[in-house]
Amino acid sequence: MTWVMNLIMFICIVPSTILMFAIGFTDKAGKKKMIFGVRDNPKFHEGEAEKKLKATVKSCRRNALIITIAVCIASIILLFMPVTDTTMTLWMILVFAMLLIAVPFGKGNTELKDLKKELGITKSGLVYTDLTNANVIHSLKLTWLLIPNALALIATIAAVLIDLGIINVNMVCEKYALTSLSLSFLFIAALIVPIAIMMDNTRNMVISKDSNINANYNRAKKKVWADLIISMSWANALFLVSYLILVMFVKSDIVMLAGILVYTLIILAIVIAGAANQKSIESRYERDTDLDLLDDDDNWILGMFYYNPNDSRLNVEKRFGYGGTVNIAHPAGKAIMIVLAILLISSIAYIIWAASTGHIPDGTVNIIHR
Amino acid sequence: MIIKIDEYSDLPIYMQIRNQIVMGISSGELKGGEQLPTVRALALEIGINTMTVSKTYQLLKSEGYIMTDRKNGARVRPDISKSGEISEGNKSELKRIVSEARLSGVSKEQLKELIDEFY
Repeated sequence: MTWVMNLIMFICIVPSTILMFAIGFTDKAGKKKMIFGVRDNPKFHEGEAEKKLKATVKSCRRNALIITIAVCIASIILLFMPVTDTTMTLWMILVFAMLLIAVPFGKGNTELKDLKKELGITKSGLVYTDLTNANVIHSLKLTWLLIPNALALIATIAAVLIDLGIINVNMVCEKYALTSLSLSFLFIAALIVPIAIMMDNTRNMVISKDSNINANYNRAKKKVWADLIISMSWANALFLVSYLILVMFVKSDIVMLAGILVYTLIILAIVIAGAANQKSIESRYERDTDLDLLDDDDNWILGMFYYNPNDSRLNVEKRFGYGGTVNIAHPAGKAIMIVLAILLISSIAYIIWAASTGHIPDGTVNIIHR
Repeated sequence: MIIKIDEYSDLPIYMQIRNQIVMGISSGELKGGEQLPTVRALALEIGINTMTVSKTYQLLKSEGYIMTDRKNGARVRPDISKSGEISEGNKSELKRIVSEARLSGVSKEQLKELIDEFY
């Protein structure tokens, strides 16, 4: 039974690491708009500068590859280990180890910014705005987002009522297990809705002098995001409903874990499909880009964190990875970052505490076998 | 219509937006009656304060290029008054440009060619 838990962790970690490597560490420097979060410049491809650029890309890519391979090998080893407290601790450590891939990215970003200074590439302060498309390009259909999340809410209410004994059902799981599981999924739903709205309201990119091209490009990008988040919401809601039914009526841990496995695979497939669509849109519109875009590299700390006090926007598109991030200079951005930092620190503290006391959850709902 | 804002320009941002909207109306890119984005939408798109955009719209309205109302937002005026005269401010600006061009060795013909191109 326990191998399923290992498989779930493996599916969560390995593809994510490979995806981060593939997106952030391309070997096609010069063919992409960004290299390590720094906007590509023709001066990078002249004489000595090109040698330096290639050396930086090669070195950072190699380091990232080493981290990726190490994480993958460690995951393969853990996959075949019995699920014990130690194994679970190691999986949790591996989740954080996976984030180390950001280190070579940050290093590459710093080196390329230094190269820019050496080459005397001055910051361009040009901001393009398409008057025709300002705030009129949206792809999110709110109803399709709210229906699955409302379903998740109803399932959570049902779980609470069952646990409180108001709805009488022949329970096969521990008391309040349903409520805690449902609330955790409802928490995801509560996060998804504002993220979806935020992504649908991101600033439109101006890539061309032609407003129609800009409109189509931004609509396509927002559609990918909307589809991804709506699909995730549906997966979340359907999983929650199915899981509640299974927990109530099926007396089998393996079925529960298999359910989580299927859910993980579905989420993974949704993310991969979204990333592939996004990539395809970028390459489709690459040839239509006829404007020198704003050089705001200095506002990107290590190419990952956006800090621009002169920008009133809260959300911007990420430069490392896939999706959006917040402007840390914005008051709401500061609050979000503080919450994230607290979550990260408390997770690390929890791992240390759990490893030292042996209180590691195995991720299953404890079934009462009657 | 694409507008270009130079963050390092000496010209204030509200004037840059104002100038480009005027040029857009003059060139026909923005047609009479065409809807302009709301103050908030435009401010979000450029990433500037709403007060800056509001100042631009107020200026354009006072100059008679756009009309605003609470229901329809801002629109380009379909009947911009044609006085047939260059304002004193523009005359003074033109004088400065001609003087600088002359000092730079630009001939009168070259200037006329430019005027023909931009008109």
